[in-house]
Amino acid sequence: MSTGQEPRTVRVVIVDDHAIFRSGLKADLDSRIDVAGEAGTVEQAIAVISEVRPEVVLLDVHLPGGLGGGGREVINASAPLLASTRFLALSVSDAAEDVVAVIRAGARGYVTKTISGPEISDAVVRVADGDAVFSPRLAGFVLDAFGTAPAEIADDELDRLSARELEVMRLIARGYSYKEVAKELFISIKTVETHVSAVLRKLQLSSRHELTKWAAERRLL
Amino acid sequence: MTTVPQRPPLVRSSDRMIAGVCSGLADHLGLPVKYVRLGMVLASFAGGAGLAFYAWLWVMVPTADESARRNARRPASPIAPAVSLGASVPSATTPAGTTHAAPPYAAAFPNAMAPDTAASDAGAPPKAPSGQVPVFASWFSLRRIPYGKEILLGAALLVVAAILIARQFGVNVPLGTLIPAAAILGGAAIAWMQLDETRRAGLVDKTKADQAGGWVRLAAGLALVVAGVLVMVSGSGSWEQMWLALLASVAVLGGVALVLLPWGLKFWKDLETERSARVRETERAEIAAHLHDSVLQTLALIQRRAGSEQDVVRLARAQERELRTWLYRDDAKDSGLLAERIAAAAAEVEDAHGHAVDVVSVGDAVMTDRHEALVQAAREAMHNASRHGGGAVSVYLENSDAGSEVFVRDRGPGFDMAAVPDDRLGVKESIIGRMKRHGGSATISSSPDGTEVRLRLPAENGDKAENRNEEGKA
Repeated sequence: MSTGQEPRTVRVVIVDDHAIFRSGLKADLDSRIDVAGEAGTVEQAIAVISEVRPEVVLLDVHLPGGLGGGGREVINASAPLLASTRFLALSVSDAAEDVVAVIRAGARGYVTKTISGPEISDAVVRVADGDAVFSPRLAGFVLDAFGTAPAEIADDELDRLSARELEVMRLIARGYSYKEVAKELFISIKTVETHVSAVLRKLQLSSRHELTKWAAERRLL
Repeated sequence: MTTVPQRPPLVRSSDRMIAGVCSGLADHLGLPVKYVRLGMVLASFAGGAGLAFYAWLWVMVPTADESARRNARRPASPIAPAVSLGASVPSATTPAGTTHAAPPYAAAFPNAMAPDTAASDAGAPPKAPSGQVPVFASWFSLRRIPYGKEILLGAALLVVAAILIARQFGVNVPLGTLIPAAAILGGAAIAWMQLDETRRAGLVDKTKADQAGGWVRLAAGLALVVAGVLVMVSGSGSWEQMWLALLASVAVLGGVALVLLPWGLKFWKDLETERSARVRETERAEIAAHLHDSVLQTLALIQRRAGSEQDVVRLARAQERELRTWLYRDDAKDSGLLAERIAAAAAEVEDAHGHAVDVVSVGDAVMTDRHEALVQAAREAMHNASRHGGGAVSVYLENSDAGSEVFVRDRGPGFDMAAVPDDRLGVKESIIGRMKRHGGSATISSSPDGTEVRLRLPAENGDKAENRNEEGKA
């Protein structure tokens, strides 16, 4: 997915309150990515996103301005655009409540700021293609939140992960790339992406309040 | 004992008959408590001087607990030594004053032992908790009489009896003054004791049941004092006049309260604001101290070592880890658990080799000897991965009812297990052998894309591995 496709560029907007980080990130992104705009606060971000209409927004979770909701607020305000614009959350925070909150608001993935240049470019392209991007840590949160036991047949399917989804999440938590997961489980990368997207959907739609409670309670690393 | 003995601080002791004033004073002065009590009683007959002194000390001198707490509020010491390149866990997390760590003998020799206790420990009161006292009861026979309060009550009743008998024999005892005075004293004592206890309870925990009892006592004390004052002022015991006076005084009190209420509320609010501001200020000072000791030092170090990329990365990682621990750690909850031990091992390896070791953990388990072996094996695997992999290492820990599993993965060139010579103990002994001895297993898979060590420790009887995740859902 990441290579060998048609050479198209993805238009992105970078939202982060640190100018140094924005310029560093711009330098790191490879030629597949076209940075169409930047913003440093919640208000700026909402304005720039609605004006530029990028395919992907690289969004810091913690942002000044607005009502204090940070990245979540930006996503909520841009909700009408969610069909065409996808959000990839980017943060130094590993706090579970930050991660889960921004995913549940509608972000398609979550990566930490220590991610390398090629990796972040891959992640952007993947998100632009409609897939989800899970870091090992996010996979760990998912496993922690949904439990490591597979779903029963009659179980509410939104509240549990299937055995296959669990396997995929475990491998991602162990540091496997999608390609490696596919190889390990003898399935195609496309199937891996399907599973990951399904997990993301469950994470976003699951109504179990334990999920948010869980996130708020454990401020674990 | 070479230094001049220092006096223990003057605090009201928990070993008390009324308010602990006498025994606290005795500790402070180094006198046997019975003499102090006797002196206090004798002084009371000198125009009530003893009583006034007692009341004054009662109000002004803090209890041992309060004093300890006050001392414990001193600015916290730096949480962790700057960028300790060893994986040091922040120490000294328990405030000194909250533990009643005073050695038991300090209670028996309050004065002699003072240099050790009072000088070294900021908060430890020179009193042992009440449970330890009886051992030394033989030292001062009067010190800890069982039923002390009952005896006091008996003595008071005897005094009353003596007065009554004296009246029988025609001695003119000014009962009209004595009874209301006694009522006032009694009421005040009840209310003040109450004040002590609510203060303590309010600081420890606010249980409603205690408060209800407290209100009753406060009301009783108040009623006694009011009745005493009324009788004293009106000068006669007739009910008619009493009622009138009571009505009038209640009306006056109500009027005063009405007038003073807004002012009192404002005062209270100001007090609250000031208190919260002070709390914020303390917090800010603590954060500033921490940042100074850790982040600023690291930044300075980074500037000086800017030439060495590896040093900079190592410093940054170490600082990041330390800061995250400080920010997110809930040290009441997860100390000594498996996830934390694995994270500590990862930090150690990271410092040793300078490559990032990312730990993701799901669930947690209580440490046992077997888990200790798992941590050791995992540490060895991380060392190998970091040394030979030459890049970031991913560690994944999963705990479930079935047991604990650790995966350590690197992106190195990989190696052939069969080609490892037998005398290399690292893998064969420290990882595989160790896991086997503790009923677990270790598998290593290596390919040109990297190496993964998988450690498995099945649960013992299924109940040892406590899955916090499952627990949270229940």
